[in-house]
Amino acid sequence: MGTAARSRLVVARALAVVILTMLTAGLPIAAAASLKVLVRNDAGESVADAVVQALPRGGGSGAASQPTEVVIDQKDKEFVPYVTTVRVGTRVKFPNSDNIRHHVYSFSPAKTFAIPLYKGLPSEPIVFDKPGIVALGCNIHDWMSAYVFVSETPHFAMTGQDGWTSVKNLPAGRYVVEVWHPRLKGTPQPATHEVTLGRDENAELAFVIEQKRVFRAPRMSSTTSGGYR
Amino acid sequence: MFKLTHAASIIYRFRSFRTRILVFFLGLLVLVQASTFFAVNTANIENARRVLDDALVVTTSVFKRQIDERSRQLQLAARLLSGDFAFKEAYATREHATALSALDNHRARIGADVMMLVSMDGTVIVDTLHPQAAGKPSPNPRLLEKAERSQYGETTGVVFLDEQPFQMVVVPLLIPFPDAWVCVGFRIDDAFAKVLQQDTHSHVSLLRADTGKGWAVLASTLPAQARERLPNALTEQPWREGETGTFDLASEAYISLVAPLSDAETQRVVVVLQRSLEEALAPYLRLRVVLGALFAFGVLLSVIGAVLIARMVTRPVLKLAAGARRIEQGDYLQTVDIDQRDEIGELARAFSSMGKGLAERDRVRSLLGKVVSPAIAEELLSKEIKLGGEEREVSILFSDLRNFTNLCENRSPQEILALLNRYLTQMSAVVEDHGGVIDKYVGDSVMALFGAPLHHGDDAARATSTALGMHAALKDLNEDFFNRGWPRLEIGVGINTARVVAGNMGSLTRMNYTVIGDGVNLASRLEQLSKRYGVPIVISETTQVAAAGFVYRELDRVCVKGKTEAVNIYQPLGRPDDLAPAVREELARYHEALSMYRARDWKGARARLQALHTAAPDCRLYLLYLDRAKTFQREPPPLDWDGSFIFDEK
Repeated sequence: MGTAARSRLVVARALAVVILTMLTAGLPIAAAASLKVLVRNDAGESVADAVVQALPRGGGSGAASQPTEVVIDQKDKEFVPYVTTVRVGTRVKFPNSDNIRHHVYSFSPAKTFAIPLYKGLPSEPIVFDKPGIVALGCNIHDWMSAYVFVSETPHFAMTGQDGWTSVKNLPAGRYVVEVWHPRLKGTPQPATHEVTLGRDENAELAFVIEQKRVFRAPRMSSTTSGGYR
Repeated sequence: MFKLTHAASIIYRFRSFRTRILVFFLGLLVLVQASTFFAVNTANIENARRVLDDALVVTTSVFKRQIDERSRQLQLAARLLSGDFAFKEAYATREHATALSALDNHRARIGADVMMLVSMDGTVIVDTLHPQAAGKPSPNPRLLEKAERSQYGETTGVVFLDEQPFQMVVVPLLIPFPDAWVCVGFRIDDAFAKVLQQDTHSHVSLLRADTGKGWAVLASTLPAQARERLPNALTEQPWREGETGTFDLASEAYISLVAPLSDAETQRVVVVLQRSLEEALAPYLRLRVVLGALFAFGVLLSVIGAVLIARMVTRPVLKLAAGARRIEQGDYLQTVDIDQRDEIGELARAFSSMGKGLAERDRVRSLLGKVVSPAIAEELLSKEIKLGGEEREVSILFSDLRNFTNLCENRSPQEILALLNRYLTQMSAVVEDHGGVIDKYVGDSVMALFGAPLHHGDDAARATSTALGMHAALKDLNEDFFNRGWPRLEIGVGINTARVVAGNMGSLTRMNYTVIGDGVNLASRLEQLSKRYGVPIVISETTQVAAAGFVYRELDRVCVKGKTEAVNIYQPLGRPDDLAPAVREELARYHEALSMYRARDWKGARARLQALHTAAPDCRLYLLYLDRAKTFQREPPPLDWDGSFIFDEK
């Protein structure tokens, strides 16, 4: 059975549940639909670090949320974590847990910034004020890279190792579910899917995305010889 | 025409030793030198080609390594450029002009000919060569695809921009993820080819093949004419990629190796590494010239050497031949003068010695002939010298001068000798003319042999003729003597024919060829008797019997001393034709008287003899018989008297 057919089946069932829930519940605040999403690639493998975003169909960014602070660490010459999803307006701290300096930068249109060579914690966190995908790098360590997914809506989640994630507290309505992954073919264009959620509906979606190979600079160590490559 | 006949005459003279030596040595030298020359030449050329082949194969590896090195260097440079943070910042401004200027700056840093930024989907962002090309599809899509497939997003290849070839490298611009392709390119032109030429010591040409259109030269270090011919050569002359072959470009041969440069499908680019065969062969050709010069020099030396050596042989040989011819003609004394220290000189010296030896022998021979007589000399020389002889029938002639002692009186010994020699010379001539041999001279006597050592068959007649001849010659001699004031000579001759022994008598160191026997003594006695009878010649009966053709006068029947038997003795008067009828008639009357005498008819004999005497008062013979007849008439001989007369003296 195809994905579309299957999701339709699921949706149909969900719809029924949602409508029932809405009829019976009546309180919008109590209406908390959730969306469980499985992301896999076309080889059948589960995809981790896939960002699932539920955008309301009619637009709107959904309920405002308090800006939160997020931390992206630098440990052992790597950004930790690799993919971070934040709400627009989130302040992100970039502590340097290494005993060497790093020069964090990004040239992404969503947030172009740079924190020149520093140790410890920069005085000011970086505010990601535009939605989009921000690619981070370190100027003096070519391989150091990370992503920050800045979401317009509060409804986003990231898949775990098993490829599952769930977006909670969704008001009922129609949504465009977007799945993005660093290695998504066609990035930064996400894979999309429309879904309508009823009140208290627990929907499930499965995405199959095409991935491409992305080359990064190889991590260098003192034992790595230059030579020919 | 002259040259032809000249050549023909030379070939005809191949028989001459000198020409043969010359031709042989020259031929040998030419053969050896020519074969050496060709062998060396062929080996050289082959070697040169092989060396070239090997060199080109190595050169190709060097070339490939060169290209790879350059690519790697380009890649390194591109990688560094793309990692430059300031450049990334300039790029991130998304301002075309800023990006272009930064890109150009970077291009200049490494001296590249072109630098491009291409988006990940193949659209040109910035192009230093074509600033207006932003937004257009990049001209190297295949190269970008190749980069995408590679491990690190890096690749290199040949790309054609505006129909011009570029060696291009592609590296990703990582910020930190690939955001664009950085393309850096170097033009492949003659300058590039020249750098490669310097490194590989070969001519480098880069050609592009358009399907169906043949080859086009992108860059080349070849001289103009060869460069023009190269595309056609690739089309027309057979070659295999990676293998050495020969291309003929503008009538010069190049050992060539064609190797692929890029793996682009439509645009096939090859590099042709070439080395001029002529240049490579230049040292060998020089060697060939040297060899040729040596060859010519060798020929010259050979000719000279052969001529000289031949001459050293032929000249002396010709001299010796002339000398031999002179010897043949009897001239022993002229020596052959060849002053050489070698075998030829040895031969010349031996030849001269031979000449001297021959001359000596000739002298000795002639001397011997003079001393003994040529016939005896010949006889002696022909046989082994030993004492002894052989029994033969020989007529021995003795002649003696009657009044020799008187002649010697009042004359100097020199005069006597001169006189004697003249006389002896004459008499000897007569003997030799008749085939006789002078045995010896004993003072004024001559002893001659007829029948030894040579035997003629009519030796007795010859002896008799000789005796008569001697007397005839004497007449002429006496005339001559008279004119000189020398006295008249008178000789008596005695001849006897008997079996005697003829041979060498004496000792081995001093010997004499002569005859020994009774007959010899008789001949001597007969000669002595000639005076008695007043006749010039007295011969024995054996001689008379043996010598036919003469008229004889019987002289007597005698018993010489020591002999018991009586023999008749005769006087030869001459040949019948030479005698006058009166003489013959007188002879007949004498013989008649003699018969009467022998028949004891003293009176009758006396009467006849008297008549004869009256007619010839000088004839002693008649007087002798008259006397005897008178005596016998008074005192007759014994009854057994055989008419012989006994001589008491010797």
